[in-house]
Amino acid sequence: MLGFLEKISQYTKEAFDAAKYLTQGIAVTFDHMGRRPITVQYPYEKLIPSERYRGRIHYEFDKCIACEVCVRVCPINLPVVDWVMNKQTKKKELRNYSIDFGVCIFCGNCVEYCPTNCLSMTEEYELATFDRHSLNFDNVALGRLPSNVTTDPSVTPLKELGYLPKKIMDPHEVSPLDPRAGKLPSEILDWMKNTEPSDSNENIQSRE
Amino acid sequence: MISPGLDLQMNFEQALESFGFSHEVAHILWLPLPMLLVLTAALIGVLVTVWLERKISAAAQQRIGPEYAGALGILQPMADGLKLLVKEDVIPKRADGFLFTLGPILVLIPVILSWLIVPFGQNLLISNVGIGIFLWIALSSIQPIGLLMSGYASNNKYSLLGGLRAAAQSISYEIPLALAVLAVVMMSNSLSTIDIVNQQNGAGFLSWNIWRQPVGFVIFWICALAECERLPFDLPEAEEELVAGYQTEYAGMKFALFYLGSYINLVLSALLVSILYLGGWGFPIPIEWLSTWLGESFNSPIFQLFAGSIGIVMTVLKAYLLVFLAILLRWTTPRVRIDQLLDLGWKFLLPISLVNLLVTAALKLAFPIAFGG
Amino acid sequence: MNIAASTEIICFLILGSIVILGSLGVVLLKNIVYSAFLLGGVFMAVAGLYLLLNASFVAAAQVLVYVGAVNVLILFAIMLVNKKETLKPIKGLQIRKILSGSICLGLLILLIRVDITTPWPLPGPVSIGEQATERIGEHLFTDYLLPFELASVLLLMAMIGAIVLARRDVFSTDIETGNNAGQELIEKSNAPLIIDKTS
Repeated sequence: MLGFLEKISQYTKEAFDAAKYLTQGIAVTFDHMGRRPITVQYPYEKLIPSERYRGRIHYEFDKCIACEVCVRVCPINLPVVDWVMNKQTKKKELRNYSIDFGVCIFCGNCVEYCPTNCLSMTEEYELATFDRHSLNFDNVALGRLPSNVTTDPSVTPLKELGYLPKKIMDPHEVSPLDPRAGKLPSEILDWMKNTEPSDSNENIQSRE
Repeated sequence: MISPGLDLQMNFEQALESFGFSHEVAHILWLPLPMLLVLTAALIGVLVTVWLERKISAAAQQRIGPEYAGALGILQPMADGLKLLVKEDVIPKRADGFLFTLGPILVLIPVILSWLIVPFGQNLLISNVGIGIFLWIALSSIQPIGLLMSGYASNNKYSLLGGLRAAAQSISYEIPLALAVLAVVMMSNSLSTIDIVNQQNGAGFLSWNIWRQPVGFVIFWICALAECERLPFDLPEAEEELVAGYQTEYAGMKFALFYLGSYINLVLSALLVSILYLGGWGFPIPIEWLSTWLGESFNSPIFQLFAGSIGIVMTVLKAYLLVFLAILLRWTTPRVRIDQLLDLGWKFLLPISLVNLLVTAALKLAFPIAFGG
Repeated sequence: MNIAASTEIICFLILGSIVILGSLGVVLLKNIVYSAFLLGGVFMAVAGLYLLLNASFVAAAQVLVYVGAVNVLILFAIMLVNKKETLKPIKGLQIRKILSGSICLGLLILLIRVDITTPWPLPGPVSIGEQATERIGEHLFTDYLLPFELASVLLLMAMIGAIVLARRDVFSTDIETGNNAGQELIEKSNAPLIIDKTS
């Protein structure tokens, strides 16, 4: 008899718990309804890419020494470096350079290892084409300056969530000049320079 | 206490007779009007619900939702409907064409017929049939046949499984639903929806059935959600398992019939909850008090018009609050498994609804004043 | 004849023909699923006949019980059973057909005879229409209490029987194969993702 009653009380408790959790869940859903949509109305509004955004690769033909480091560090040996050896000057003569962005994974290794910094990553990401072969950029196409979200008059640039001032969730409310939450890398560097000696001393003392 | 309220039929027929029509002709002219009215009301209800569903879902997920079709995307359901209307009507080659066509019709017709018993005011309903709420329970039991039919006729394993699941779910949740309704009926001594609402409108919102039948309200709402195949009970069309359940092979207008059916059913269930438990067309404070405060005679035509419109607004408002709750529930709860569904129906709701019925009967005998002697 | 009466006759003719043709279809159609769906149609038409007789509660109960429960269960059974059976030819089929046909014909003739000779328009009790629900309840709990209770006991017995048949833990072995038929959880127990090698 007691076991039966215990079972019933357990059952009732579970039912009430279920109701409680359901109410909590609905409260969460309801709370979310009051928040502003985070939708970015894409062709009219665009997010400003972050500082280290790895977009389409920019290439400067004149800086390139045809060393082929980019080819060697590329996971799939993608860049095509077309050069000939000039017998008279005994120097490499670059004729063509191309990267196929339909195959590129934008890992940035080539940019990292390029000895002359002729490769760099841009913030351009709108690479859609009607034909996949038109993604095979030659040195002219690679040398074009990237399109810029902030300078396009038909686009409202929006800051990404990490670049918004503190306690602001909606990029529509901020002006482009508002600083983001936290310190900029340069400010952190300054702070570290100023506080480093005492900080390290304290650390050493505490360790001792 | 009970006022005659607006009587549209009498007014309409009297108007026609004053134009020189005979009584019978006037009656025949009146006949199709309520049906048209029901169809229009149901369709507008569905359009509004679809729009609300999309907008509220979007808000709950911090999206924007339909925006460009009309102001705030209000024309989006119309656009959807138009798209389905002009879409090709595909019948799969190995499907059973006749049953395939009959299935969606059998699903939709009972739902629309059930609107007969939904009152929006003292005389604002299509027919005050004596069996009232029982008609809805009987009609909603036809629906599984249509679902089984379309599931079988599609000649597709997902459709068949979806149809079987829908039928199993529908017949298991019908029983606690009927028992919850029975407790309400016991208190009002009548199956008629009008009597049920009148019994609740003695003292404004304090006399609503939700205070006397809190358990019944919860049971009814859970069962109504299960009957409408709303999340968390949308197993028959669980897209991760069954593609789209019994709707898998349907396209165009036949799919639209299913779509309409499910949304009309949702609005209907919400309306019935508001009628059975939330006082139907009743204003939160008794409308007679309002008349004395406003210094207007209760039986004056202007006040009757005012009371009638308040009644319609209140019924629809309560129903849409429940629709809103259903949409919130949709984005809160995960889908239950089929064994959990049947466990909930047979091992939880059924015993509880039986106990609820017993307690209601005992309370009715013990306190006949509060529980409708 | 006024509009109401003619409507009633037309409805009666339509419903009657649906009942007759539907029942014939249930018996004669080869496809068993069609038969089951037609049975649902016949039940609906019978409910319509009840409605014509001003017995709306009985009509609704007919729809709820026969269409909503019985017919759905029949359909369920048909759709869940997936067994092709080759039927054995029955001996003396011709004689059986003639025999059963003649019996049915005799019954039909008898019924027609009854139909013609009986004076149908008896002054019976006036139909009570909407109050029928209460009257049915009164009868069920007074003079028909014993049959009512007997029917419910019968249903209870059927239910217990069904539960015993369906629950496999009553029989620890499968009757046909003799294998162990336990009723374990369908879900598997949670196996840890990383196997603990230290123990």
